[in-house]
Amino acid sequence: MSFPLPSLRGLASRLLSRPTVSSSSSSSSSFSHLAFRSATTPPTAAARTTTTPPPSCLAAAAGVRSLSTTSSVLAPPGAKGGKGGPQKGGRPGDKNAPKRRKKGEVQQRDPKVVNMLRHMAVLSPRRIPPPLRMGRNRYLRHWTIHRAWLLFRRQQRQLREANLMRQYQSMHRACEELRRTAGPGTREEGYLYRVAMEKKGVYGLDSIPIEYARAQTETPARVAWNHDWKAGDAPGKA
Amino acid sequence: MMSAPGRGSALLRSSQRICAQCTRSSRPRIPTTIPVRTAVTAAAATTTTTTPASRRRYATEASTAPGSTSQQPSPSSRASPPPPSPPPVASTPPASTTAATPQAADPNPRHYTIQAGIILTRAPLLTREQTPFESAFYLYQKRLNERLTAPFRPAFYFKPDTALDLDWRLKLRERHGVPAKDIGRYNPRGRMAWNDEVMAGSPVGDPDNIRDKLLADAEVRVSEDGEPIPAEDRVPVERPMPRRTEADEKADTRRLDRALDKTLYLVVKKGSGEQARWEFPSGLVTTDEALHETAARVLAESAGVNMNTWMVGRVPVAHHVVAPELDEATGALRNRGTKIFYLKGRILAGQVTLTKDNLRGVTDFQWLTKDELNGVIPRDLYPSVRGMFDLR
Repeated sequence: MSFPLPSLRGLASRLLSRPTVSSSSSSSSSFSHLAFRSATTPPTAAARTTTTPPPSCLAAAAGVRSLSTTSSVLAPPGAKGGKGGPQKGGRPGDKNAPKRRKKGEVQQRDPKVVNMLRHMAVLSPRRIPPPLRMGRNRYLRHWTIHRAWLLFRRQQRQLREANLMRQYQSMHRACEELRRTAGPGTREEGYLYRVAMEKKGVYGLDSIPIEYARAQTETPARVAWNHDWKAGDAPGKA
Repeated sequence: MMSAPGRGSALLRSSQRICAQCTRSSRPRIPTTIPVRTAVTAAAATTTTTTPASRRRYATEASTAPGSTSQQPSPSSRASPPPPSPPPVASTPPASTTAATPQAADPNPRHYTIQAGIILTRAPLLTREQTPFESAFYLYQKRLNERLTAPFRPAFYFKPDTALDLDWRLKLRERHGVPAKDIGRYNPRGRMAWNDEVMAGSPVGDPDNIRDKLLADAEVRVSEDGEPIPAEDRVPVERPMPRRTEADEKADTRRLDRALDKTLYLVVKKGSGEQARWEFPSGLVTTDEALHETAARVLAESAGVNMNTWMVGRVPVAHHVVAPELDEATGALRNRGTKIFYLKGRILAGQVTLTKDNLRGVTDFQWLTKDELNGVIPRDLYPSVRGMFDLR
């Protein structure tokens, strides 16, 4: 669309809305915000793209006087400027400008606070960059990369799951063989299996040594492995 | 997905499924029938003595029913569980798991000795190597991120007119105004913002290249007085150790700092000369011991106590069965078979110590990856332990 066509979607809301004395951009939202919830999804958007009809003709059409008491639903006067970019300081709506409380006394905001607020302002929806738009071939390359990554992740996942399955099956076979084994000497069939299935020491604070929680790194330590560990180095247990 | 019918249903009195142990213990020496549902329910219909709910019906009783189907020889039906018509028998493993044992497995327990072994492993200490696709993808994602997120605000991180701020600005100028250190030269705003892809074969995304860039950036370039430090006075940042250690270069298989991104398994050499075998430490289970106690004792006797180890529970992770040798004519026992149950252990520090008078007759040891194990341990042992290996 090369020329701004007035949107028909907001037409009903605009016809039915009551314009107020305050700023034009939020006029359509004053009444429509309260009543026509479904039809007013883009009332402000429509208002921005189109010009609101002059109050006189609307008032004549509606036959009622305009509401001037609903200023609370409107945005506060200084909001349109936002917190202000770092380049433009000292604008009329600048919240970080020094405030005057009492006569002759200027209250400066702490510059550290100003810095932090300006940093957090970058998170506001209006300052986040818009979604990307790509040409056809660029988009196809992106789609291909995305599919390839998903495929790669699937392959890794399947390898992991197959490995777990294999390990479990090996354990299961060993346990099954153990269950059918008559123990050493006079032990009855399945004695070793039952002892193996006991869970002593599995749950509790002493179940796993802390050294087992050593994380994998991209590069090794200066001394990759302590070959000189001796039995006496073990932490003594009470 | 619906879960399989629960194992609890096998315990219901009215269930027709029978576990292998009951089948074996109650089977007479006559050939039995497969307890197909229709056959057994036909038997239930014909026998009027008891109601199905009060007494568990065994496969053997179906032999009186007229609806008996095929007959199987006892050894093979002992090996494989009764096959079901819907759903599978939950309490016994599928027939494929018994494929490890030969079809005619000798059930006599006196023909086997029981051994417990330990597969001691050193877990990988390094992450997996990045594939070229992964490195390229990560670079692609970083560049997209540069386009999609708010730009970097140095004013938040660097206080103006400090040495650190000067250092940052100097390095930023050398990077041609790009705040990120690992994406190469790319500006997400401006007329070249569309050009966020690199050409194939570009070294920009290479992990080693990125590491070099980060290390170069970590040098301090501005002194505390705010003066740029000349090249000869700059203190180089300590480089991380290389991923391939000295043990890798020398291929010293006794060292534990070899192949740091893979799992290492301990194998010991028993016997001498022609009979020398490389295998996992194992030993006979005595009557007063359990598997895990035997395994710990065997490890201490084979490889010494100067290792910080941890046994992962009491449950065996793999087993190996050597069939007994029976005389063909008489069926008498010539050589006892063995059942070895392996437990998994982890080594956390230390090294194997072998003395001349080793209790188990161990003369040598090696720490091998799973691919190297293939050619070293006996050929019949490898398929038995292969299931417990990890991916790396």
